Order: sequence, then structure tokens, then C-alpha cells
Amino acid sequence: MTWDCTITEDRLSEALDGMLSREEGAAYMAHMASCLHCQELAGQVGAMLERMHRLEMVPEPPQLSEEILQATLGPREQKHGWRQWFGWTASLWQPRFVMGAVTVAASLLIVVHASGITPGKFRRLDLNPVNLLRTANRQAHLSYARGVKFVNDLRVVYEIQSRLEPAQEPSIAPTPSTEPPSQPSAPNPREKSEKKQPRDRSQLHNRTMFAVVLAGETTDLPNAILSRSAR
Amino acid sequence: MEPDAQLVEKCIRGDGPAWEELVRRHARRVHNLCYRFTGNSTEAEDLTQQVFLRLFRTLPSYQSAQGAFPTWLTSVTRNLLVDHYRRTKHERMTDSIDDAMPVLEERHSAARTPDRLAEAVELSQQLQRALGRLSPELREAVILRDLQSLEYNEIQAVLQVPEGTVKSRINRGRIELARVLKEMGVRPA
Repeated sequence: MTWDCTITEDRLSEALDGMLSREEGAAYMAHMASCLHCQELAGQVGAMLERMHRLEMVPEPPQLSEEILQATLGPREQKHGWRQWFGWTASLWQPRFVMGAVTVAASLLIVVHASGITPGKFRRLDLNPVNLLRTANRQAHLSYARGVKFVNDLRVVYEIQSRLEPAQEPSIAPTPSTEPPSQPSAPNPREKSEKKQPRDRSQLHNRTMFAVVLAGETTDLPNAILSRSAR
Repeated sequence: MEPDAQLVEKCIRGDGPAWEELVRRHARRVHNLCYRFTGNSTEAEDLTQQVFLRLFRTLPSYQSAQGAFPTWLTSVTRNLLVDHYRRTKHERMTDSIDDAMPVLEERHSAARTPDRLAEAVELSQQLQRALGRLSPELREAVILRDLQSLEYNEIQAVLQVPEGTVKSRINRGRIELARVLKEMGVRPA
């Protein structure tokens, strides 16, 4: 089968919708491979269709179905009590609206908190721009100072912890056994720990000495500073 | 979910809740078809009501052997739209078509950034304006096929024209729409 530009213009939609027979499809593809005009046309129409297929249904007005039912079945049962007054809120419960409302509420909360307005102790003076600016500035500095203090506290805790942990290791080591060695030929695993003990003790001694030196340095530190400042 | 045919049978027997279910199930589709065709939200709402009023009166004439209920409903809607188009032709010629064209929404638009969203809305407006420049025959064929996602045989049943005419109208409508978009300077997506 031969395919030309006129056939493309007549049957392009069938080709794009996959409605051509195998033979026709092969002829179409062969022509497309060599014809720039038809390639351009198919590209334009294909892109437009892709865009159209992305369009979604427009939501109908919320009261439309109710109006149709009223017009066909007659007046509907009236809602009483709180439903009568708050019935209109049903149309507000859409994800987009709820998300927007939550975002606005969260933003307001942040702004109110930053400006230091306490709902229980609200005064008219709190709305003065100068006061608002001052309070916001104070809040920012306080938050920063709290953050710095928190980080510093953490640093001190980790420093103390890292100094203390190695010193506790010897206490975890097994206590020396008072039992006499049973068989010289069969080495007891406890012997290993007994052999290790002198080294552990020397380590503990070294660490204690380090702590004493450190303490000595720390006690001398104010004197050192004073002597330096005197110079 | 209860099939449409059963709901229709119940409606014919005078079952109110079945009619309510039928209205709620199909109101969006009918409203969309009217909205795409007229390009005016108020007109679309009025026409949707008229469609369901006509449907309420003519429901006993529906037979499932004629085809699926949605196809029959689309056919009723389309006939009413054609009547409306003929009736308001003179008024429309005095109006600017740009004013009447609605904004189409793009799928998954909520997940886009504001820039992309604005771009999508602009493209959709251009597409809707281009649709408005097609002749009614070509426009309805393209809307039924590409916006209402009807099959060729369903469109044939709705429009009551031979299959060859349906294919030809869809094809000419699409090519014409692409040409109009190109004239408007819309870049391919």
C-alpha cells in the first residue's frame, strides 16, 4: 500500500488513535520516516492531544444536583436546627480549601508567637508597630541565645561523658579470682584477665594522674590569667 | 455500585432515591459537556438543569438495547446543546468569544509550582479559545472524543451520523485546532 501526504491529512486521527490495520500502519510509518511535512503535522496534533488529555473535569457547582432534584422531585425535606444554619459549610470541606485554611492558621500562629502577643494578656498597646518590632527582635535574640546555650550544654555533657567513659572501663573488668589455679596444663580463661590487670591498673593510674594535672591546671588558670593581665 | 440500567428501571417505577443517585452520578459529566461547548459557567448550569428535566420526562423511552445509558444521556445533552446553539446564534455573534471562554483546569495542577501552574492555566485558556474558533460540528466531535473520552462508535450513536463522518469530523477538528493553536503562537507541549 502506498501512503502520501493527502492520506495523512485524511486519516491522521485514525493513525494516532491506533485504528489503522497492520498494513496501513506500516505504510504510514514508512511515509512518516521520509516526509518532514507530515512529521510536523503529526507532531503538532499529537502534542495538542496530549495537552487536551491532561485537562480534567471542571467541578460542577455544589448546589447543582440539589436544584435539579428540587426541580424534578419537588421541594426537598427541609433541614432543621443547626443543620439549617450550617448547611452551607458542607461546600467548604474541599481539600484545597482546608489546606489553605490550615496554612493561614499556622502562619498566623507563627506571627503571633514571634510578635510576643499572648492571647490571655492582650492589650491594645501590643499592636503598636514599635512594640511589635521590639518584641519580635527580643524574641529572635532570645531564641538565638537559647539555641546557643543548648548547643554549649550538649558540648559540655559530651565532653564530660567522653572523659569519664574510659575511666570506668577497669571497673567493668572481671574481679580477680581467689581460687588457686587447678591445672597448669589447662589454662583457665580467667588467667588472661589476671595477666591483663597490671596493664589496666597502669592505665587507670595514668588517667588519674591526667585528671589531677588537669585539675591543677584548672585551679592555676585564674592565677595565670591574672598574672598575664598584670603584665 | 448499582448499574445505571437498574437505576433507570427503579426511576421509571417512581423510586426517588434512585433518581437522586442517577443525578449525582452524572451531573458532573453533563455539566462538563455543556461547559466545554458553551464556554460559560452560568449557561452550562442552566443547560445541565434542562438536560435533567428533559431526561426526567423522557426516561421511560430509554431502552438498554439502544446502548449504554451514558451514551444515551450524552445524546440527549448534545441535542439540547444544538438547540441552544441555534437559538442563541445571533446573540453570540455580537459577543466577544474571548469573554465567554472558560478556564480549563489541568490535571494534577495542585502539585505544580506557582510558575508552572500559571503557565498551565495560560495554555488551557489558549486551548479553550482555539476550541471556540472551530465550527460547532468539529468542536462537538473533538470535545466528545478528546475531552469526554468517548469511543468512535459512541460518538456515532450520539451524533447520529455515519462512522466515516465521525472519523472525518474528529480528524478535521483536530488538525484545525492544531492549526489555530499554531496561529496563536502556542508552543507544542
